Amino acid sequence: MRKLILGAAAIGFASLISHGASAACGSITIAEMNWASAGFMANVDKIILEKGYGCDAELVSGDTMPTFASMNEKGVPDIAPEVWTNAMREPLKIAFGEGRLHAANANPITGLGEGWWIPPKTAEDHPELKSVLDILDHPELFPYKEDPSKGAFVTCPAGWGCQLVNANMFRAFDMANKGWVLVDPGSSAGLDGSMAKAVERGENWFGYYWSPTAMIGKYNMVPVPFGVDFAGTDNWDGCMVKPEQDCADPKPSAWTKSEVQTIITDEFMQKGEAAIGYLKARVYPGPIMNGMLVYMQENQADGADAAVEFLRTHENVWTQWVSADVAAKVKAGL
Amino acid sequence: MDFSSPPMMDPQELRDLKKTIDLGFRDFSRAYGDAIESFFDPLLYFLVWFEKLLVGAPWPVIIFIVAALAWFGARNWFVVVGSAVAFLAIGYFGMWKDTMETLAIVSMSTFLCIIVGIPLGISMARSNRVQSIITPVLDVMQTIPSFVYLIPVVMLLGIGKVPGLLAVCIYAIPPIVRLTNLGIRLVDREVLEAADAFGASYRQKLFGVQVPLALPNIFAGVNQTIMMALAMVVIAAMIGTQGLGQQVLRAVSNQYLALGFMNGLAIVALAIIFDRISQNYGKRLQKALGKMA
Repeated sequence: MRKLILGAAAIGFASLISHGASAACGSITIAEMNWASAGFMANVDKIILEKGYGCDAELVSGDTMPTFASMNEKGVPDIAPEVWTNAMREPLKIAFGEGRLHAANANPITGLGEGWWIPPKTAEDHPELKSVLDILDHPELFPYKEDPSKGAFVTCPAGWGCQLVNANMFRAFDMANKGWVLVDPGSSAGLDGSMAKAVERGENWFGYYWSPTAMIGKYNMVPVPFGVDFAGTDNWDGCMVKPEQDCADPKPSAWTKSEVQTIITDEFMQKGEAAIGYLKARVYPGPIMNGMLVYMQENQADGADAAVEFLRTHENVWTQWVSADVAAKVKAGL
Repeated sequence: MDFSSPPMMDPQELRDLKKTIDLGFRDFSRAYGDAIESFFDPLLYFLVWFEKLLVGAPWPVIIFIVAALAWFGARNWFVVVGSAVAFLAIGYFGMWKDTMETLAIVSMSTFLCIIVGIPLGISMARSNRVQSIITPVLDVMQTIPSFVYLIPVVMLLGIGKVPGLLAVCIYAIPPIVRLTNLGIRLVDREVLEAADAFGASYRQKLFGVQVPLALPNIFAGVNQTIMMALAMVVIAAMIGTQGLGQQVLRAVSNQYLALGFMNGLAIVALAIIFDRISQNYGKRLQKALGKMA
């Protein structure tokens, strides 16, 4: 009941505002999440919406759950550029169903997600390694330092959720019998370090990582397709993500797809008009996103710096998202 | 003049400086990394062999050896029984393998620290100049946050046992060096004069008089080194060293209270056993020396 009243109030309030707003798009708020790629995206949106569409955009800091709750109940902020929806699929479905929130873009970054990676040099030297299944037949290419007769697969640090998944994957693909060892790097610094060391030295490396990240961008790591299909959510949610004793019979499977969406409030859906067209078209190619993260890391740049850098250096990417007229306005405004 | 902030390097230059250092280290690692890694290979093989030995040995044998060591070191039934019970409890709570892995790395690093540390301490005791050079280095080794040197160690040697061992040794070697130095410097001048009067050679003085008289202090150093090596087990686990430390990390990141305490207490048990053995041995040495004098 309380929710209903709140919702009604929010809608009433929203209609008030949208009447008062100018025909363009008025004043809007954009959620700037507290991780690098989301901060960067929020700043790009801010610049393009301000310069190109005449909005009066303001950034508000946020995090996945609080921002979702605030958008759902209060209708503020209007736009959340990068929301990882795996963790909140159910509440989001309800909000979409009630029409309070909308997905403006169901895939704003390509090539994102978790998986198994090899360095570019390994991929180049061994073009026959097309999938995880191919790699598993060649443990000798990835020798384990402490027992060179085995291949090393670098998993997640102890205690991370993905450690359980990797351990179950290890069993599902029968990797122990194929001559592999599951190597625990101990910490995220250990994981980064082991990857960095291998790539810097031109050694082979095979292990878990995720994108978009500066590490993947910096070393141009190559994601390896699993060579099998995703074996269904029953296998994944009922077994893969659980400790070994709760997952008796893991089936080989591709990694579950991570979903990122750009989410907007209903109010913005009504008043945003042309700006929504921009959000829909705004898809960052994975390598470019990773490149921007590398830029941010190397120059200790924040999202605002990176956004300007992106708009300056990747014109061919973002001008595809907007009309020529808007693009010209943004360029002039930089 | 504006005194609100101290003179600072230009941010761009500072960034370039940091980048230059990083790139320099990267080039160094590319050029010499393989050579350094293969230099440590014998150590790795020995560590792997030793760990397999400990993990593979039947548990009664291990407990017997621990109890025998306790008897040899402490000559105290309480310590002997306590050690055996502690190891039985460790096995009972399912931490046997992790404990053996930790035991392997701790005893190896203690061994390494002793081999390197005692000669270093002796050379410090014999020359004030050497002492004035090594002391600040030891200060740095003891106080620099371990995370700082974990990164270059991993870049050079990757993850696993050897980098873990080195990280442990950087932190654990200072006490043995300092106390060896101190012990030898504390040997009575008159005793040395007497040795001189008997016409003792340099070597005879060192190994016949100074080192034996310094033994209680040296043993206090060994004891401290073992304690610090055990304290570093969790840090070493952060760069992929197997053992109890890894379970503690797992407990920390998942808020597993019981798992954390059990493995933490297993480390404590190892520490107490080692401490009692080495400390009592040191005390007995001191008594024996007292009688001699």
